[in-house]
Amino acid sequence: MTMDESSSGHATDDHGDLVTIRGLVKSFGPVLALKSVDFTLRPGEVHALLGENGAGKSTLIKILAGVQQSDGGTMEVLGQPWNARNTGESRDAGISVVYQELSLIPDLSVAANLTLGRESLNPVRIIRRRRDERAIGKYLEGLGVDLDPKARVSALPFAYRQMAEICKALLGEVKVLVLDEPTSALSKGEEAVLFDAVRRVTAAGVGVIYVTHRLDEVFQLSDRVTVLRDGSSVATFNTAETNMRELVSTIVGPGKSAVRDEIEREVAADGDSATPTTEDAAIAFVQAASRPVRLELAHVSNSRLNDVSLTLHQGEIHGLAGQVGSGRTEILETIFGVRHAKRGTVTLDGKEERFRRSDQAIRAGIAMVPEDRHIEGLVLDHPLDWNLTMPLVGTTFGLLPIGRAAVKKAAEAAVKRFAIRTHSVHTPASQLSGGNQQKIVFGRWSSPTPKVLLLDEPTAGVDVGSREEIYRIIRDIADSGTTVIVVSSDLVELMLISQRISVVHDGSIVNTVERSELDDTRDLHILIQESSSSLKESA
Amino acid sequence: MTISTDFDTRRGAWTLRNVGPMLLENRSQVLLYGAALVMVVAFSIASPVFFSADNFLNIGRQTTLVSIIAVGMTFVIISGQIDISVASNVALSGMVAAIAMQQFGDFWGIGAAAGILCGMAVGLVNGIVTAVWRVPSFLVTLGMLGIARGTALLLTDAKPVLINDPNYYAIFGEGSILGIPAPVLWTIVALAIGAVLLHGTRFGRRVYATGGNAVAARYSGINTVRTTIVAFLIVGALAGLAALVLTARFHAARPDVASGLELDVIAAVILGGTSLFGGRGLIFGTLMGSLIIGILNNGLVLLGVNSAAQLVIKGIIIIVAVGISNKR
Repeated sequence: MTMDESSSGHATDDHGDLVTIRGLVKSFGPVLALKSVDFTLRPGEVHALLGENGAGKSTLIKILAGVQQSDGGTMEVLGQPWNARNTGESRDAGISVVYQELSLIPDLSVAANLTLGRESLNPVRIIRRRRDERAIGKYLEGLGVDLDPKARVSALPFAYRQMAEICKALLGEVKVLVLDEPTSALSKGEEAVLFDAVRRVTAAGVGVIYVTHRLDEVFQLSDRVTVLRDGSSVATFNTAETNMRELVSTIVGPGKSAVRDEIEREVAADGDSATPTTEDAAIAFVQAASRPVRLELAHVSNSRLNDVSLTLHQGEIHGLAGQVGSGRTEILETIFGVRHAKRGTVTLDGKEERFRRSDQAIRAGIAMVPEDRHIEGLVLDHPLDWNLTMPLVGTTFGLLPIGRAAVKKAAEAAVKRFAIRTHSVHTPASQLSGGNQQKIVFGRWSSPTPKVLLLDEPTAGVDVGSREEIYRIIRDIADSGTTVIVVSSDLVELMLISQRISVVHDGSIVNTVERSELDDTRDLHILIQESSSSLKESA
Repeated sequence: MTISTDFDTRRGAWTLRNVGPMLLENRSQVLLYGAALVMVVAFSIASPVFFSADNFLNIGRQTTLVSIIAVGMTFVIISGQIDISVASNVALSGMVAAIAMQQFGDFWGIGAAAGILCGMAVGLVNGIVTAVWRVPSFLVTLGMLGIARGTALLLTDAKPVLINDPNYYAIFGEGSILGIPAPVLWTIVALAIGAVLLHGTRFGRRVYATGGNAVAARYSGINTVRTTIVAFLIVGALAGLAALVLTARFHAARPDVASGLELDVIAAVILGGTSLFGGRGLIFGTLMGSLIIGILNNGLVLLGVNSAAQLVIKGIIIIVAVGISNKR
């Protein structure tokens, strides 16, 4: 443990703290989500909360908000012992949370949203709209927020919608404001608006807990920062006294790198000597680079992308890293024909392509495994073989007979190759586990092997065992000459399978490195953070 | 769960065998057929005329309009859409068929081509507006319901048009082969083609995938726009065929016919187990649904229930059936 003595010592001495948490524990069945969390919040400060996915940030917030209850440790709010049983209690105590999903009703005005359920009524119970609008107008003015109470929420730019959300959260007696990744969908200009609002709120003495993945925001906005790792608070820093490298090291953890851990575990699991090490990745990249170019993006731009260029060889696995909303998925969608390149060209095997629809891309040999298999990947009601053979059925002449023998053979081959666990190819997809469902979406593209395979978060919500099988499948497919592009938020995953990694920020590729240049995820983490912050400074 | 070597080895005949599990899983369907059986028994006891070969042929004949259009409606509903303009389409297509024969010569082929093409044109517009402009099909076909009916009335200022080709009556109405009346034969043709198309071809699978999860279908290379348009074309063409059968029965086309027919058609499809939410359904189910509607209409008439009360009863049955299928 690398507790920052000075700051945590100072924090516990201060009896004016809004929130004091010590040794907080929370378990879900056998899983310990929080092992031991210490956390304090002072009036008027922005306290950033950092940590990787699954470190316990959301759980901590939910306990504070009364959505969940802790199993141990002590919590005090305004000096009083605290264990909220529901969100109403936490609201009454002055804790207000703004979650990532906005809770405003888009077709109502700002004023109507902020007075929802508390509208002022005239004697015949008709809403006094103008009075509400005046009252909200005055309230917004008091906060120094430039929002028209009459504006319809759906007509507002995203940052202003978020501000309205924050203003709604600040109604009443609020002492503690929690913001859960508020900038994940904002542009740079919009961020400034939001930061301004946060500073105004803290000037009024409200304490702000600011959950984020973006270190540059921590340095711009916060007074202190606490890092969670594996359910424990590992350190609290005064922001002015730390730097990016120290924070990244604290987030990722000491000792052996996560990637090496993972590799060792994998080698132990299947004894496969083909598992890549840094050296192997370098060799694989050199080999791939000597093969012909398969896919080339040159200066591709559209509403979400800005001058994206990429050159990919046959058999190469290329990772796309970056924040959620940075444009990673949009790059895949543009290659796949779901989005269209306004400027620039996409060239496949030397031929310039302009796909208007995904079925054209699929005919040309491009396949995509989308991020959300339930929404974008599977027809859950339909049997396995139907799901597996959708490309065959979709891209051949419609009046052809289904060809049951061929369909069944293809389905069974895919089931065998991808080790999909089911007792029949006629089982509805909904009855399979998440990992097996994901393997169906992969299995769809097993034959004929596509020229380019686009993967968007290929192992999200997949158990560890299936994950390794999926990695094996991806390497298998690449070995047969397919070019694979992987979008992932899991840095270990990117380090494990890709030969080159590009960092995407704000619709552009800001950096491309060979896997062999990175020692462990820390390097990649820092690369992503630096790419996004340096860009912001130059902007 | 076992590892996947133990495959289901039943050989696939092209209808019930492969899709059968989807039907049989749906226990409410079995319940429904039970209810239909109870209905038949009840009508047989209540009315001496009901249980006779003659009356069953009657039911077959009276059900043809519903069955023929319901085959097309099955495609549309499985693809996740609905068409409530079919009855108006029948009226318009019948008028167009009769006027074409009046204008270009009393030859049945002219009428048949004109009627079916008119039905397809209506379907094409419905399909394009729904799939390309992404307007909910309920609204598109609600508008088309008015447009088609209004156009049918405007064509002749609401006057009927006589048809003078005896071959036309024979082919679509009064003729028979081996004692089976022509309308019933046309129904069988529609059912057979529909079953092959939906259960036997790749296009049929696209219809299921489009209705089951349109986004996933698109990500798998299925052109969902074209699939939806073709589904509307099919129901349009079959509305045209139904118009031929109807006008052959009257020896004339009238612009005010078939009103309210869409209720029976949709009821037949839903009663047959096709999910109103898309992605599930069978032509066989639609046949059963049509027969249930036919038995119900016939039985209620024989029992002397007036037409207003019939509407109420059918409305209730649709709601209950959808409620049951919703529960699954």
